[in-house]
Amino acid sequence: MPERKLERRSILDPAVADLLSNMEKKQAVSQLPQKIREKKAREREKIRKRREQRVTYDLPPDLRQQIKNLAAEHRVPASQLVTLALVRFMEAYQAGQVDLGIYKQISNSPRYEWNLVLPDHLLKKTYRKRSVTR
Amino acid sequence: MKIIGFANQKGGVAKTTTAIVLAHGLARLGIRTLLVDLDPQGHIAFSLGLDKAPGLFRLICLNEPLQKLTVNARPNLDILPGDKNTEKVKRQITLSDFRETILLDQLKQTNYQAVLIDMAPSLDVLHINGLVASDWVVIPTRLDALAIDGVKEILLTMGEVAQRGYPFAGYNILPTFFDRTTRETYTQLQEIARTFGKRVWPPIPQDTRIREAAAYGKTPWEYSPNSPAMRGYPDHRPNLGGYQQILERLMEIIHA
Repeated sequence: MPERKLERRSILDPAVADLLSNMEKKQAVSQLPQKIREKKAREREKIRKRREQRVTYDLPPDLRQQIKNLAAEHRVPASQLVTLALVRFMEAYQAGQVDLGIYKQISNSPRYEWNLVLPDHLLKKTYRKRSVTR
Repeated sequence: MKIIGFANQKGGVAKTTTAIVLAHGLARLGIRTLLVDLDPQGHIAFSLGLDKAPGLFRLICLNEPLQKLTVNARPNLDILPGDKNTEKVKRQITLSDFRETILLDQLKQTNYQAVLIDMAPSLDVLHINGLVASDWVVIPTRLDALAIDGVKEILLTMGEVAQRGYPFAGYNILPTFFDRTTRETYTQLQEIARTFGKRVWPPIPQDTRIREAAAYGKTPWEYSPNSPAMRGYPDHRPNLGGYQQILERLMEIIHA
């Protein structure tokens, strides 16, 4: 007989559990010395500010790896590299150098009208190290 | 049809406000809703910008038909108003046969999808009538020792009502006037969450705009739909607490 997977049941409304754990953390912080409390507050503020900048997109794993490699090579944050790439793309798009139409295919999803289907050769292009000239 | 009662023997815990906000919330979602005022203060009509009226008195004591007594307050939302004459209803009920089910018998004949009953902070025959009629009870409470004692009392009363043959499909406890900055609030929330588990709904943040809405005869959906009491705490994702979230919970009960 297959073993039944045991699942721990939640005994609280998820929103109440979330609130309680949050309040618990705040209570714990309030017991700390003032210097540490201030440090924690600064960290929280930093996280809150970053929320505006955060975004999640799906990328092909190869491309993701290429970005990671390039960022490592130049010793820069991958986020900044992606920002640069997107800014350059937007400029190129505005200048009419990018035609999305050639990649468009009808989507079956109720949310989108089109999918951008990128050809394999575009995705499989591997990034090669380039000597930097100053 | 689902009948939801709002009860707590402690006064000032936001029973009326909760009943109004949720009734109007249901109506806005297209649910044909009746809100019944069992409180002689008659604050349901007042909060909706209408005049107090002896609706309940005329229904029970003068045997007038319910359709004639309901007042349309908003699209999809009718109310059965009350006023100080509601006190006389208690006397009338006490002298009647089958006195526990008088209100239920009247409400059964209606074709509303949801009936919300706002009960007075007391323990009398009208209160028992409200509980007997209810399929589900929402117990608003402040997070302080006195109000939580009121929760205990109402649960005991509900137990007695159920034993008399009028069981409930369920109940929920709704923390109101929630102030997350005080240790007492945290301690009391922890306490009731430990005791009542999933029956404790996410809290309604303390919010002055709710009081202002009543003064203007508007519901918070009209007066301050984006205030903390309506939308909850915005620093959580998704927003935590607030009547919007409670309305979702109530919809689950109504469609269950």
